[in-house]
Amino acid sequence: MSRRIVVTGLGAVTPLGKNLSDSWAALIAGRDAAAPLELFDTSGYRCHQAACATLPRLPDQSRKAADRLSRASRLALPAAREALAEAGLLNQEGKTLLATLPLCVSTTAGAMAFGEDFLRGVLAHRRSHLFRQAARYLPQHQVVDLQQCCGFAGPSVIIANACASGANAIGHAADLIEVGDADCVLAGGFEALTELVFGGFDCLQATSTDRCRPFDLNRSGLLLGEAAAFLVLETEDHALRRGAKPICALTGYGHGTDFFHLTQPQPEGAELVDVMRRATAQAGIAPEQIGYVNAHGTATPVNDGTEAKAYSIFFGESLGQVRISSTKAAIGHTLGAAGSIEALFAIRALTTGELPPQLNLQTPIPEIAPALVGLNEAHQDLPHVMSVNLGFGGSNAALIFSKYEN
Amino acid sequence: MKIDLAIIGQGAVSPAGVRIEALLHGEPVPVLVAAHSRPDQPWPVLRVDLKNPAFARWQKEPRLRRASAISFYLVEAAEQALANSSAAERAETGLIVVFSAGCLAYSRRFFEGIITQGQRAASPALFPETVFNSPVSHVAAVLGLNGAAYALVGDEAAWVAGIKTASVWLRQGRVKQVLVLGAEEFDPIVLDAYRAARWLRCQNGSHGFLTSEGAAGVLLRQAQSEDGLVITHARDGLIYRTKKEAGAAAEKLFHAVDPTLTCQHSAQRNWFGSIERRVTHDHPIISSHGSSYLGEAFTASAAWNTLRAIPYLNEKTSRILLPVWGLNHEVGSLELEKRK
Repeated sequence: MSRRIVVTGLGAVTPLGKNLSDSWAALIAGRDAAAPLELFDTSGYRCHQAACATLPRLPDQSRKAADRLSRASRLALPAAREALAEAGLLNQEGKTLLATLPLCVSTTAGAMAFGEDFLRGVLAHRRSHLFRQAARYLPQHQVVDLQQCCGFAGPSVIIANACASGANAIGHAADLIEVGDADCVLAGGFEALTELVFGGFDCLQATSTDRCRPFDLNRSGLLLGEAAAFLVLETEDHALRRGAKPICALTGYGHGTDFFHLTQPQPEGAELVDVMRRATAQAGIAPEQIGYVNAHGTATPVNDGTEAKAYSIFFGESLGQVRISSTKAAIGHTLGAAGSIEALFAIRALTTGELPPQLNLQTPIPEIAPALVGLNEAHQDLPHVMSVNLGFGGSNAALIFSKYEN
Repeated sequence: MKIDLAIIGQGAVSPAGVRIEALLHGEPVPVLVAAHSRPDQPWPVLRVDLKNPAFARWQKEPRLRRASAISFYLVEAAEQALANSSAAERAETGLIVVFSAGCLAYSRRFFEGIITQGQRAASPALFPETVFNSPVSHVAAVLGLNGAAYALVGDEAAWVAGIKTASVWLRQGRVKQVLVLGAEEFDPIVLDAYRAARWLRCQNGSHGFLTSEGAAGVLLRQAQSEDGLVITHARDGLIYRTKKEAGAAAEKLFHAVDPTLTCQHSAQRNWFGSIERRVTHDHPIISSHGSSYLGEAFTASAAWNTLRAIPYLNEKTSRILLPVWGLNHEVGSLELEKRK
């Protein structure tokens, strides 16, 4: 990259915790958040479980104001604030110190629960409260919530590339900085569980009624989850000038489209391999220099087999040295937030040397078995980590983060 | 923000017909459609005619066999814009599609099925097509666009974000050219939404906007010396939630703009009209009154307005400021220049 890009703040709300530290501690301890889903009635669906987050309080919002916010915004706001606070960009009132702060966000469903209520209301011939639901289900309103509650303005981009969106949002933020269009960007993703999406994955028989077992020969489907995760990206100069401490560097971003099928990746994983190669080429590193991969690993029969093949091609003989896990077994598949929260987990692995274990593994896919992270593995010194995502429509993305060395 | 993007291809699908000529000179005819909740109360709506022979070539595409109308609008507009691009050039083409509601018809049908017929009636054929980037994937697959692809979401102003994203990719050298499209499809449920918002004021359509649908796009490359038509500035990021804030955002948008710059009015019949007249009163104005009214189709409208500004550049002025009034949360603008 022509400008050195560093990460200076991280924040997350996940089914494992109301902030990144709690989420990370639970993840490393091997906890998973699968539980019966109570947000809406699931009695007619095959699957009845999901990974729900506990919404953090919003101390600066009245109860009435907080109640008016969508669940998506209730997840996104505390995560964004945590990232901004760690970056030293929040004042005591919880407002951003930079008046203008470009924003790159991702989601697949925005505040779809409002849209669902609107349709229910229309079908029931209800007349009141329809406008607010119709107007505020769209993702741009969560952007307005973020900007107004955190007190900043500036251009925003909402990327909806399905399950790769979160990685795309971070990658696009890096692109903006690299070409000189921005010095500092807030980037991340959010996703709240909604019935439309849950019913969609359920009718595709993509959700598991068993435990979520990524990269296991007996995997039977995904666990849906919800989360929000944000990070602050800036040029090294910008960070150092204002006294911020870089956490790591973002060194590579690859993305591309796999045409094979709308909902299935090319079986040999060739397109995903290309995307990872683009990311390592930009980072100027070889695959064997990557110490840990936070894999997409949905635990669907099609995805994980293809992904395992792609890793075996990409890493070749060094596959035995790299450590790989999918954290979706613990927090579920958070769709538009997945690429962001998984990037944050990869960064935590980079900075702490701790590795998130591959949960619920019984019979690993042979091609990838030696690389899957076991429980309580020893700390590792990782120079570079990668976060990989694949999405509906063939959206693939890979991000590489590297240790920050001044 | 200064950019330097040459428009080297154009494509459009609108209620006025298929292709640019129809966009500029066609006369769309409204049809009456009942709101989802009020079958007894039809409203005039501007629809794309999917029986137009231009769509026949896409009906046989295996990739589109389950796709909803928005994918057909997009692939047709994209093919028009790419008409002069070889297979090799297409392979190095990036794709950005901006949506407001996206695949609305299937999303409504899918969830209505769950509500009215029960959870076990959820359709696995519909759900994949409800995802924002499904039409993007279809366009890339059908037309062989191997470059990067993004689905962006927002109101009309997302069109500006799409143009700016194209500029980023081109300056990075990720792709040789970028196709930026806006697209929306109609579903009767939007009439219920617009009724709730009090946007549908008159059932004969004489004032208040008409709901519309379609797609349009521009093929862009980093401007070169021989390029005659260039987007030189893109501005966005002025958000609002209330009408008062919208007015303030519009004032800010025009605050530092050269008042001698010709401005093309684009609000037409939507509620931004009075704000637009107020903030542009010092500027020479090009009004789209000479062209037919195409209705409101959010991101597609933003793309149509851009394409409809181009003939004025050829005839009347060398620079045009095109405000992009997002009806939901943001305002922005583009500046177009004729260099030859």
